[in-house]
Amino acid sequence: MAKPTLWQAAWAVAYKDLQIELRTRYALNAMALFAVTTAVMVSFRLGPLGLSRDPRSAATLAVLLWIAIFFAAMNGLARTFVREEEAHTATLLRLNVPALAVYLGKLLVNLLILALLETLVTLLFIGLLNVTITKVGLFLATLSLGGVALAGATTILATLVAKADGKGSLFTILAFPLVLPLLIIAVETTELALSGGTWGSAGSGLQLLAAYTIAEHVAALWLFERVWEA
Amino acid sequence: MLATTFKWFTGIWLALVSLAMFLWVPAHEGLGNVGRIVIVHVPTGWLTSVAFLFSAIYSWRYLRNGRARDDALALAAAELGLIFSILATVTGSMFAKVVWGTYWNWDPRETAIAALMLIYAAYFALRTSIEDRQRQRYLGSIYALLAFVAVPFLIFVIPRVTDDTLHPNCAILNTPNCQGIQLTENGRIIGTIEDFKVELLGIEQQADLTVATVSILSNGTNYTLKPSFNRVSNKPEAIERLPETLRDVQIKRLSGEPGNQTVEIAIANTGNIGLLTEQRTLLTFFASLFGFTLLFFWLWWLRADVLDINEQLVQQGMTI
Repeated sequence: MAKPTLWQAAWAVAYKDLQIELRTRYALNAMALFAVTTAVMVSFRLGPLGLSRDPRSAATLAVLLWIAIFFAAMNGLARTFVREEEAHTATLLRLNVPALAVYLGKLLVNLLILALLETLVTLLFIGLLNVTITKVGLFLATLSLGGVALAGATTILATLVAKADGKGSLFTILAFPLVLPLLIIAVETTELALSGGTWGSAGSGLQLLAAYTIAEHVAALWLFERVWEA
Repeated sequence: MLATTFKWFTGIWLALVSLAMFLWVPAHEGLGNVGRIVIVHVPTGWLTSVAFLFSAIYSWRYLRNGRARDDALALAAAELGLIFSILATVTGSMFAKVVWGTYWNWDPRETAIAALMLIYAAYFALRTSIEDRQRQRYLGSIYALLAFVAVPFLIFVIPRVTDDTLHPNCAILNTPNCQGIQLTENGRIIGTIEDFKVELLGIEQQADLTVATVSILSNGTNYTLKPSFNRVSNKPEAIERLPETLRDVQIKRLSGEPGNQTVEIAIANTGNIGLLTEQRTLLTFFASLFGFTLLFFWLWWLRADVLDINEQLVQQGMTI
């Protein structure tokens, strides 16, 4: 049998993880429920129109949106690595697939999960909190760039957490300081997108976000093998 | 012997600095007695960043060569970083309460140090959650490096959160940013002086005077001021006070033709705000910086040695 290329191996890892995830839907359910709880709780007390009447609603909604995305993501993103350790399949994977392929495969899964989560959170916010997105393009750009950045910073942390004995609870503690720059910019640009800001006004924020994304991905690619082999 | 001398020297030095801070340094003209805190606050703040840097460097060295000593140094630096960040935060909060009326206000530097503390907390939480010592060192080092990649972004990101800092930056050092900025009618119209955002709204000619309309963001509020410049005497005419501050806004220089003029806007401090322009304060400040640096290195090596001995004991316990 010919040795699979890096991308084939990465795709195989991602495909396997997606299949397992779809079978149990453990991560997806946990994340979706967190997102629903957040949106329902806010909407329940403030009413669907309560927030949008507030003059500072764009800022509040942007913060709430990213709270929902960040904490929901923290509920599920570590799952793929923790599962490997719990089921004792990590060693098998380590022996058969190059570390880089494992990383890329898991990153792909996390990106997909985050895309689903962001879609869900956005729809919930539109439905339950009456969010009007004035600049759709800017909003989508922020969400996708934010998602890629979040995945880049957290996929390697998920590996780290899986190796630690604390598991679940540690993930959020470790991730928060690292993604703080990302969250600050994402909230800022989301606020602009909701309140009708221009691309020009969001430009420097998006550039900074892109630079952060690249730096985190490079650091993760560089350090991943060491974590994975630890 | 050398270590004992070093220890005593550091102790006596810092004791002298503490005495000088209260007895020798005069009270600051603008900030009063509370200005003395700069002697302790700034060195501890700087050493927090130094500790973070050392922690990252030794983590990286540990990952490269796997020597337990390097990890002990990285861990000791992180522990000291936490202690110094607490010292800097407490002294800073005391100052903030007296001068700004609040212990905490998410000033850019407060945000940065809060993020550093969160990182240290996460780093220790990670390390204590792992029982296997080898793995503890390994994963701890990796986290320290990941955090080190993220932190520089905070430096760029944080000024976006609050447009204004209450930190008396220009009270400490007179950087070019404290001098003034050139804004042109049809060119660059936005800039920062100190940490005030300044926007040129327009320039108009009134007889011999050139009046600039500028909007200045201070303490979260936009103030519109109209400083002017006398073209005949070639001197600033109207000097405008920035509300609720001790700052005066003026046009320092004027160039270019009407329609495309460049004004140099300056925000001057009324009274002597420069903390370190006073000689005794400056001397004591450097003495304090030196003393705290000695203290830092002494504690750092001491703690790393303790961690080393601890490690050896554990290993002996395992083999027996």
